[in-house]
Amino acid sequence: MRVTLQEELDTLQSTLLEEGELVLRALRGAMEALEQRDPELADEVIAFDDEVDRQYIGIEEGIASLLARQAPAAGDLRLVLAMLHNNLHLERMADYCVTIAKLTKLVYGITPDQKLIVAFQEMGARDEEMIRAALDSFANRDVAAAESLVELDELVDRGNRRVMGHVLALGSNPALREWGLRMIVVSRCLERIGDHAVDIGEQTAYLVTGEFREFTDASHPERVDT
Amino acid sequence: MRETDATGTIAEVSLKNLVQRDDRSHPTPATREVVFDVDKLGVSYDGSIALSGVSLEIYRNYVTAFIGPSGCGKSTFIRCFNHLNDLIPGARINGKILYHEQDLYGPDVDPVEVRKRIGMVFQKPNPFPKSIYDNVAFGPRVLGMTDDLDGRVERALKQAALWDEVGHRLKKSALSLSGGQQQRLCIARCLAVEPEVILMDEPASALDPIATTRIEDLMHELKRDYTIVVVTHNMQQAARVADMTAFFSIERGEEGERSGILVEYDLTEKIFTQPSDERTEDYVTGRFG
Repeated sequence: MRVTLQEELDTLQSTLLEEGELVLRALRGAMEALEQRDPELADEVIAFDDEVDRQYIGIEEGIASLLARQAPAAGDLRLVLAMLHNNLHLERMADYCVTIAKLTKLVYGITPDQKLIVAFQEMGARDEEMIRAALDSFANRDVAAAESLVELDELVDRGNRRVMGHVLALGSNPALREWGLRMIVVSRCLERIGDHAVDIGEQTAYLVTGEFREFTDASHPERVDT
Repeated sequence: MRETDATGTIAEVSLKNLVQRDDRSHPTPATREVVFDVDKLGVSYDGSIALSGVSLEIYRNYVTAFIGPSGCGKSTFIRCFNHLNDLIPGARINGKILYHEQDLYGPDVDPVEVRKRIGMVFQKPNPFPKSIYDNVAFGPRVLGMTDDLDGRVERALKQAALWDEVGHRLKKSALSLSGGQQQRLCIARCLAVEPEVILMDEPASALDPIATTRIEDLMHELKRDYTIVVVTHNMQQAARVADMTAFFSIERGEEGERSGILVEYDLTEKIFTQPSDERTEDYVTGRFG
């Protein structure tokens, strides 16, 4: 048995799952700040990203060091590669939370459209569910659970399209239009967070089966295989 | 749609270029040619089974690595390819090895002729206590290949990447060379009789990391002209040098007797990223036993 290698793999995985928990906190904070129009909370979310980055860099360095010293193979190698990808996906998700927080600060003072807020609440809740499902499917090596992320993602995408419709319907009030444009970016961020969760699911499937495949193919939607 | 097609074509073309640059003329699984076809091969020593039921094909211009724990029969197996087990009293071989479709153990086969076509390099460098030149010229002299012997010796030393280091002192004793140089000399000695296949049994395990790298680089060069089969304890070495990898292990019979078996044989990349057999996975990840 390679005790050191196994210990290092275990540590990296638990650090990655912790990073996931930090991302969930960032997302919740960003959504709360958006809904409550709370610029101070938005600032906290922005500052909190340093914690995610620290975790991200720690995992990145840990993986580089492990690859250099341990030369992992087969299932171990796939786990390391999957963690390398997932680490980046999580860090990106946290960056989207920062963008949402920054946009929240920019529109502070404008009374929001309530329909949009409801749509965002839904998207945020779905994203949270997706992140959790992505992390669990990875921790449990559960391909079926990973594949179920595609359906959840469809709900987030639908929310995104609904937001577009609402914004277009906002009409010609200049203040509201600026708010609406910024909210399109918020919606886009929430939609991308869902995409990254699906990507983590794809890494779970790779880890388990040894073959990488995209659950959905945005450039060839006709080939979608779910 | 036209635009998509155009992009697809460009992507394909540049992908092809990449593959060609990387792989040069190396045969792909579709174009490879079988050198050895092994069918249900078994070896026993005085009745105790060392290896049983091995079937696989060795391909031309490939490096094929045999890996596995001590006692799995990988050295026994490689020695079958040039009749070296014949020299061990009590050794018996069953099953078949076809070499270019000819039975390697057929009644008319001359082991000396076989060893000329199929050379071998051993774990410990074993130069003769003679000059560098005489070591390389030994095989050609024995086999009467003495036309332009100097040229033959020079070519062999160049192919073994040793000429630059010894070309000016060919009359010096081979024993004055370093371990790594001695091993490359043994490879040159093997190449001097123009074999088709080079068998290597742990060729770098007695060498330091730099000398090991030189041997590995050399294997990469030599596979353009030769077919190489290598036994190695060093899994990373197999991963670095081999196109195909065979994993051997030990099976216990009903009465607890141990014999070597072939567990899995596949492209090296497959063996080290996605082996099909759990026993291979356990071995390459270091969780064996």
